[in-house]
Amino acid sequence: MKKHREMIFDILLIVIILLVLIPTLLGGIGPLPPREIRPLAKAYLNSTLNIYNKDLWTASPEAVAAIVWDYRGLDTFYETIVFYTAIVSCLILYREILGKRDISKGEGLSIVVKRVTAISLLGILVVGASTVLHGMLTPGGGFQGGAIMAVAPVIAIVVFSRLLVDTSRLSYSKVVTFRNLAILGIALTALIPIILNFGNAFIFQNQYKRSINFSYPAHILDVPMGGSLWFLNLFEGLAVLMAFYLAFNIILYSEEVSKEVILGEEYGY
Amino acid sequence: MDIRISMYIATVVSLYVNIALCIYGVISKPNLIKKFIALTILQDSINVFLVLGGYRLWRPGLLLQPPVLLNWSPTSEDLKQFLMKSVDPLPQALVLTAIVIGLAVNTFLAIVIIHLYRHFSTIDVDEIGSMKKVMIVEESA
Repeated sequence: MKKHREMIFDILLIVIILLVLIPTLLGGIGPLPPREIRPLAKAYLNSTLNIYNKDLWTASPEAVAAIVWDYRGLDTFYETIVFYTAIVSCLILYREILGKRDISKGEGLSIVVKRVTAISLLGILVVGASTVLHGMLTPGGGFQGGAIMAVAPVIAIVVFSRLLVDTSRLSYSKVVTFRNLAILGIALTALIPIILNFGNAFIFQNQYKRSINFSYPAHILDVPMGGSLWFLNLFEGLAVLMAFYLAFNIILYSEEVSKEVILGEEYGY
Repeated sequence: MDIRISMYIATVVSLYVNIALCIYGVISKPNLIKKFIALTILQDSINVFLVLGGYRLWRPGLLLQPPVLLNWSPTSEDLKQFLMKSVDPLPQALVLTAIVIGLAVNTFLAIVIIHLYRHFSTIDVDEIGSMKKVMIVEESA
């Protein structure tokens, strides 16, 4: 019976693949592969660093970053809020033990590993920071850079043991505060044009628009800064780094402490 | 047939097969970690497929160079060349959003799986189901 059921399931999957594949290859979603890009893509690419027509430009040569934080800035803001809420819901699951000291007193790995890690941690942080700060010029940006930097605390906790988190000055409440400030920074960057122009500006406005005389700095020392893109990338990078730090922090609690959460459920807390 | 087009078709076919295998993994595997791995590969396959939607066939006779602006103050000829070589950036930007939201869901799922393991000492959904049945029977008795 089970074999029959699996066989029917396999045949069904093959039929579904063929049903989707054949229309795709016959051009169901347009000619594939196209020689020309879509008109919308042309409009984005043509206006992102167009110094001859600055009506819709973003002062950034990186078209993807320009779309993410300028043309479709609100989309990205809501996406940031989704990520923020997901981490908050993870923290709520472990609310009884958050910020507690771990009872295991590990000493970490050997001195050789510790020294090598200390050097490479610096490298990881520098690469992450450079990805964040050059997000308006090269591929990458706030999220990618933040994700790169988030590798550092995981390696640090594994190599130097959890004692590092417990003895460091970066306490749980400080990390949560930094994270909230970073999200607030994103919201303020979006709202500052409106506040400074008494409501006569666009939300997520980056550069000068017709009749609205407000621009974030387009160039610093001849290098395109992407205006608000640089600030938004910076705040997003910080928010992502702090979010991952919190998530890994609760995942890497020792079993004894984590079991307290389950005990709480049994007593009906 | 042109080698580029046959490679393109091979990529589309392999992505669809990958997507189907991942759906199979999510539905049929009882182990939650295996389901989770299948789900992450499914997300990535769909993302690659979307990026592929913005791909364009290289024009014959055009110098093979990446679509990068080499000048901070590009001339209109530079911009024309940039437009002729660039792929569609919109799917890439939307995929970036999808990756972040996917990661948010993945982080939450990972924590829920750890939570379930600490509660039931197993990550097999069939076993968890039968344990819950016993618990419900005990509570109602």
